[in-house]
Amino acid sequence: MKHLSEEELIEQYYGEGAARFGEHLEACAECAEAYDALQSDLDELKFAPPPARGAVYGERVWQSIAPSLHAFEARRRSWLGIGLWRGLSYASVCALLVAGAFLAGRLSVPKQAATTAGNNPPQAPEHAAQPQRRIVVVVLSDHLDRSERLLVELKHADAGSEEMVSPLRDEARSLLAANRICRQNAAKIDDPALAAALDRLDHLLDELANQPGGLNRETITRLQEEMNADGLLFQVRVLRSRIPEQQAVSAAQSKEGTI
Amino acid sequence: MQCMGRNDHETIKAVLEGDKEAYGALVMRHSHSLFRVAFRITGNEFDAEDVVQEAFLRGYQKLENFESRSKFGTWIYRIAVRCALDRIAGRQMDDSSRVAEEADPEQEQVQLADTAAGPDRLLLSGEIGALQELALRSLTATERAAFVLRHTEDCTSEEIGAALGILPNAAKQAVFRAVRKLRGRLAPLRAMR
Repeated sequence: MKHLSEEELIEQYYGEGAARFGEHLEACAECAEAYDALQSDLDELKFAPPPARGAVYGERVWQSIAPSLHAFEARRRSWLGIGLWRGLSYASVCALLVAGAFLAGRLSVPKQAATTAGNNPPQAPEHAAQPQRRIVVVVLSDHLDRSERLLVELKHADAGSEEMVSPLRDEARSLLAANRICRQNAAKIDDPALAAALDRLDHLLDELANQPGGLNRETITRLQEEMNADGLLFQVRVLRSRIPEQQAVSAAQSKEGTI
Repeated sequence: MQCMGRNDHETIKAVLEGDKEAYGALVMRHSHSLFRVAFRITGNEFDAEDVVQEAFLRGYQKLENFESRSKFGTWIYRIAVRCALDRIAGRQMDDSSRVAEEADPEQEQVQLADTAAGPDRLLLSGEIGALQELALRSLTATERAAFVLRHTEDCTSEEIGAALGILPNAAKQAVFRAVRKLRGRLAPLRAMR
């Protein structure tokens, strides 16, 4: 008689076994013993029930993610409505620029012929801006990455442990300067979501780095609560998730710039 | 909220027509079940909360791809399972104290120095659950998620496969491997019965 394998016994335990498995277990004492042992082991595996969430838990989750979401209709309208007009405006401006460039080229040809062959024309400012934009995206990516790690550490920090608190303070000091540069850049490129998150991050880093008298248990606990209430860690994660998209845009613009 | 009386499909239609706030009703309706499965997979309250937020965010971003013949609850549940899986996979990579796959179970208490009370103490203090959690940590992310879905959520192999993005047979194999490893690591408990 061919005995049941352990895999077949597991299938049987979870109710996915073939009908013949049950019949075999009734007939074979050896397999029945093995099945009893398996059943006993798996019945013992009971996990702690999930901690209860209050009635307002769903509301709390919604409040934490709502600011990161954009309404669908607004997106569609902006694409079909504003986007169409904007597209037409861009097309008109481009047409004017091309016409202007053509005329300027026609008028400047005799002058250019008179210049010496060794004179290189100055580079277009947009071309110079492309690598700079890429650097900004890379710096921002690195900054958000480090900030996320700091926030995770803060979230799980044992407020009473000096070993934990001291590196947090040092890292916050190191991040503070980079955060200010990123904030300035966010203001320049008119990205309100990024600017708002970096503002909140700045406040937190400042408190971590420059708390008079050093970080104590109460301050750490308060900052943990503030961070959780603001959903700051989540916002940083959302911003990080946008980085690959920004890098792609930056790379595409860079490519266009070099053609 | 106005959309509280609507069913999920009506609510999704409203969201896709621009009523962003309607998504709040879906979040409130499904947060608890997502937290439950996220907690069981991650084994950590904070990670579970993050997973729930991330799942709803991803769900919103993919809502236009949601097929109306599916159940939203099942769809968002699968997203949450994937998020939880990503979370424990990332954690395992970062976790320098993770037990090596082939480590001797008797040496776990040494390798997991930060959480480890010895098996005797755990048993004596009735903390069998802690020993089980240690055993669960020895599983890979996929094995752990598959086992939790099978053992505590009563999912079939097809459902586990769909949730984890693998074939049903691969899901079944992951459960087999998990059970085999857990039985091996929890063998000392068998002797105490």
